[in-house]
Amino acid sequence: MQNHDGVQVDGKVESAASVATPEFDEWANFGDQDIMQQHSAIRAEEAEKIPFLGDKAILKSLDFEPLSSLASEYQSGSAILLEKIKVLGEQYAAIRRTRGDGNCFFRSFMFSYLEHILESQDRSEVDRIKANVEQCRKTLQSLGYADFTFEDFFALFLEQLDSVLQGNEESISHDELIRRSRDQSVSDYVVMFFRFVTSGEIRKRSEFFEPFIFGLTNATVEQFCKSSVEPMGEESDHVHITALSDALGVPIRVVYLDRSSCDNGGVSVNHHDFVPAGSDAPKASEGSEKVTPFITLLYRPGHYDLLYPK
Amino acid sequence: MQASRARLFKEYKEVQREKVADPDIQLVCDDTNIFKWTALIKGPSETPFEGGIFQLAFAVPEQYPLQPPQVRFLTKIFHPNVHFKTGEICLDILKNAWSPAWTLQSVCRAIIALMAHPEPDSPLNCDSGNLLRSGDLRGYYSMARMYTRLAAMPKKG
Repeated sequence: MQNHDGVQVDGKVESAASVATPEFDEWANFGDQDIMQQHSAIRAEEAEKIPFLGDKAILKSLDFEPLSSLASEYQSGSAILLEKIKVLGEQYAAIRRTRGDGNCFFRSFMFSYLEHILESQDRSEVDRIKANVEQCRKTLQSLGYADFTFEDFFALFLEQLDSVLQGNEESISHDELIRRSRDQSVSDYVVMFFRFVTSGEIRKRSEFFEPFIFGLTNATVEQFCKSSVEPMGEESDHVHITALSDALGVPIRVVYLDRSSCDNGGVSVNHHDFVPAGSDAPKASEGSEKVTPFITLLYRPGHYDLLYPK
Repeated sequence: MQASRARLFKEYKEVQREKVADPDIQLVCDDTNIFKWTALIKGPSETPFEGGIFQLAFAVPEQYPLQPPQVRFLTKIFHPNVHFKTGEICLDILKNAWSPAWTLQSVCRAIIALMAHPEPDSPLNCDSGNLLRSGDLRGYYSMARMYTRLAAMPKKG
């Protein structure tokens, strides 16, 4: 459902067909409920193939490893892609895949951010983001959201944030962070937390986001948030990334792996840095100093995975 | 499971608080099972459902609020987006447009809005949808009105 690149799609179609179709006495009795059940059966089958978050896979240059994990997907694919993967291998050490269930951007962001805090033990960053989270809570309240609709999701994220900081009873290891990121009851709740934050930011600054949203769909800002941000499984676009980055004050680098070629002959891999704007993002106001995001995502049309720089 | 229970309990308290604020909706939780709810909603005015009281049944899944509640009409209703036999409701927020920002109470409000603004182009009740699509408003109105009187209004005498 996620990958429109035509590379993995074939496998998905087959698996959809292989899910046993229940017997129906009458098609008239085949309601929406049955359709939803069949959908969730397909999703469950897919889920067994790829966890929410995959293992770290080493990205080797094609020269040394012709069947490196990423390149092997594109063996018979376009030459430009293979060239770009080679370039990627020079700059990045590893890739960590996420499940293509429409939540991949948020899930990649969640793991990448928490892993960064776990490894850096940057307490001032934790204090900073907590202040932003409180701001997001106020934003949702002022937009008329009832507290009980979002507070559980906020609480669970803050809990994860505290537990990646070492030195208290709730502290967790890297392995436990991976386990939690694969555990639906934690992972989906954190994804939903990000969806609330993103929606609140877009609606708070609706005048800013309106033209971008209008470029994507014909929906109003509110309709867009209700239909394309808040529901689980709705894919993320640059609007979502901008809003989340701004709301939490966290810069994000997105590396693009697509078929676009370069004019100057040589192949290079483009990236775009989403740097938080606005007064509540201290890093952006520091001025001339260039922000280097500590979160790097690999975008292939329709899907986000995590990249580890060398 | 625990998370859904905690959330439903909060909604229960909220419903008690909001009772006065929204007289068109009466949400009641099952005495013994917090995952089963029923609601009585008033048919919106200036529609063929005006004056009727419609009963809804809610079955809340364990993954709530990440997954939507299953809602159906227990009271017979003639409406393009409600299955005439099962009472199943065709409404995007109960399917793929669901998000935890919705509550049982706001779902009731959305269903009342659907009663007032049917979507005949995605019908579960084709007879009802076809009347509207062919512009036979009088036919739609009188059928819907008849079933409201038969099923959703207290019998006189």
